[in-house]
Amino acid sequence: MLHPSTITRSLAFASMAVGAALAVALAATTAQAFDETKYPDWSGQWRRPPGVSIQWDPTKPLGRGQQAPLTAEYQALFEASLADQAQGGQGEDARFTCIPPGMPRIMTIVWPAELVILPKVTYVNFENHMPRRIYTDGRSFPTDEEPSLMGYSIGQWLDTDGDGRYDTLEVETRNLKGPRTFETTGLPMHKDNKTIVKERITLDKSNPDILLDEITTIDNALTRPWTVIKKYRRYRDFIWVENNCAEGNAHVGIGKENYMLSADGLLMPARKNQAPPDLRFFQQR
Amino acid sequence: MLDRNAIAFVAMVLAVSSASVADAWAWDDTLYPDLKGQWRVIGGPMRFDPGKPWGPGQEAPLTPEYQAIFEANLKAQAVGGQGTTPTYTCLSPGMPRVTNGYGQIEFVVTPDTTHVLVQHIHDDRRIFTDGRTWPANVEPSFLGYSIGKWVDSDRDGRYDQLEVETRHFKGPRAFDSSGIPLHNDNQTVVKERIFLDKSDRDLLHNQVTVTDNALTRPWTVSKRYRREPDRQPFWREVNCAENNNHVEIGKENYMLSADGLLMPTRKDQPAPDLRYFVQSKK
Repeated sequence: MLHPSTITRSLAFASMAVGAALAVALAATTAQAFDETKYPDWSGQWRRPPGVSIQWDPTKPLGRGQQAPLTAEYQALFEASLADQAQGGQGEDARFTCIPPGMPRIMTIVWPAELVILPKVTYVNFENHMPRRIYTDGRSFPTDEEPSLMGYSIGQWLDTDGDGRYDTLEVETRNLKGPRTFETTGLPMHKDNKTIVKERITLDKSNPDILLDEITTIDNALTRPWTVIKKYRRYRDFIWVENNCAEGNAHVGIGKENYMLSADGLLMPARKNQAPPDLRFFQQR
Repeated sequence: MLDRNAIAFVAMVLAVSSASVADAWAWDDTLYPDLKGQWRVIGGPMRFDPGKPWGPGQEAPLTPEYQAIFEANLKAQAVGGQGTTPTYTCLSPGMPRVTNGYGQIEFVVTPDTTHVLVQHIHDDRRIFTDGRTWPANVEPSFLGYSIGKWVDSDRDGRYDQLEVETRHFKGPRAFDSSGIPLHNDNQTVVKERIFLDKSDRDLLHNQVTVTDNALTRPWTVSKRYRREPDRQPFWREVNCAENNNHVEIGKENYMLSADGLLMPTRKDQPAPDLRYFVQSKK
C-alpha cells in the first residue's frame, strides 16, 4: 500500500504530467499544420463503375437519348454534329486532335482519376490530362486570368452532418474556353464559353467506395441548368498507366478536315468521297 | 524521488496522449521541406545541362554509335526535320527531359507520394515514398516508375532531401530539343537528389544523374528552379495539341500553314501519298 505522502506527491506529479502531456499535444497542434482526419478519405483510384459508358448523364443513353435541354439553336447544331459523325466526321467533338475535354466533360472520368486533398487545394489528377486544382483557401475568382478548358475552380468544404469532419466539397468552376462538348457525340456547349459548373462531391453514405459528383451545368446552350449525378468507384489496389493520347493517334486534322492514317501510315479519308488535302505548297505532286 | 507508481502513471498519461495525437494527426507536414508554390527552371528549358550551350555544346558523353546518331539528327534538324526529338507530335518528353523544366512545376508532397505536376500535355510524375520496392511487372512509360526516399541529411529531425530513382522506360526519348539521344534499349536509370538551397529557400536544386547505354559514363547535371513569389500563381494550361502546326503522316513530318494547308518542312519534301483518296486516282 502506498504511503499517503507518496500518493500526494504522485498526484501532484501526475497533474504536472497531464499538463505536460497536454502541452505536448497542443504543441503538436501548433506544429502540425495539416489535420487530414478533418477531411474525408478519398484516397485510391477512382473509375467509372462497371457498365457505365462515357455519356454525360450516366443514367441515359449517349446522344439524343441524353435529352439535353438544348436551346433550339444548339439542338440544330447538335443534329448537324450527329449527321456529320454518321458520315465519318467528328462533328462538334474536337477531341480527336487530343485536346483535353475540359470542364465539365473531364469529370466523366473516361480514364482513372485520383483526388489529393490538402487544406488549400484539392487536386484531381487524371491519367491522361493535366490536373484540376480546386482552391479551398478562401480566394475569390480572379478578374483577369487567361481562360482554359479546365476553367478556374474554387471549392468549399462542408460538414453537412455536424460531426466535426468535412464530408462534402462544393465547387464552382468558371473562366472556361472552348471548344468543349458534354460528350463524344458532340453535344454542344455555347460558344460564348460563359459556362458555370457547380459540383457537390461526397462519398455515398451507404458505400464509402462510391464517390458521388452532382454536377450542375449552367450554359447559354441550355434552356435551364442541367444536373447529372456521376458515380465513381474506388479501387484500392491499382496501378497508374501513362496515357498519351498523341501516341498512336490515327486521327489527323488538316485545316478544318479530319483524316485518318492507315496501318501503313498513309493518309486516308474519314468520310466517303472526302476530298484529299490541298497540296499546293508541294512542288512534287 | 519519484516512485514506480508515479512513473507508471505518467507513462500511461503520455502514452494515451501520444496515441490520441498519433490518431488525430495522421501525418505531420512540417517534417517535410516546404516545396509549395510554382517553380520555374533557371537557365532555360531547352537544354539538359543548363550550364552549357544547346546541342553539341552540351558535350554529352555519348558512345561513338550514339554520337553518330546525334550528328545525323542535327543534320536532319538543320534542314527542317525533327531528328531524334519526337515531341513535335505532342508525345510526353518523358524522363529525364521533364526535369528540364519546360513547364511550370508544382510539388505536392504527401507521405506516400510526391506528385510533380508539370503544366505541359500530361507530364505529371508520381514519386512513391511509401517504402515500396520495384514491382515485378511494370508497363514501361516515358516518365518511368519513380521510387523516392526522404532523407534528413543534417539530422535536425526534418527531412531535407528527396532521393529518387526512376526506371522502367519506353522510348522514343531525347535529353532535350537538340535530340541528344537515349539508348533504344530504354534501360535508362535516372537518379535525382532534390533539395532546397540552404541559404535561399526559394531556390530548389535537382542533381540528376542519368545512366544509359548511349552514354560512356553516368551523366550528372545540376538543375535549379526558382519559386515564383506569388503564392497564388497563375497555372497556364498548356495543351500541346491545341494549335499544333506539326503533322506527322507515316514517317514524314509536315507543317500546317496559317490557313490550314499542308506544307513541306524541308526543301523538296515529297507530298503525302494520297492513293486512298478516290479523287486522287482521277
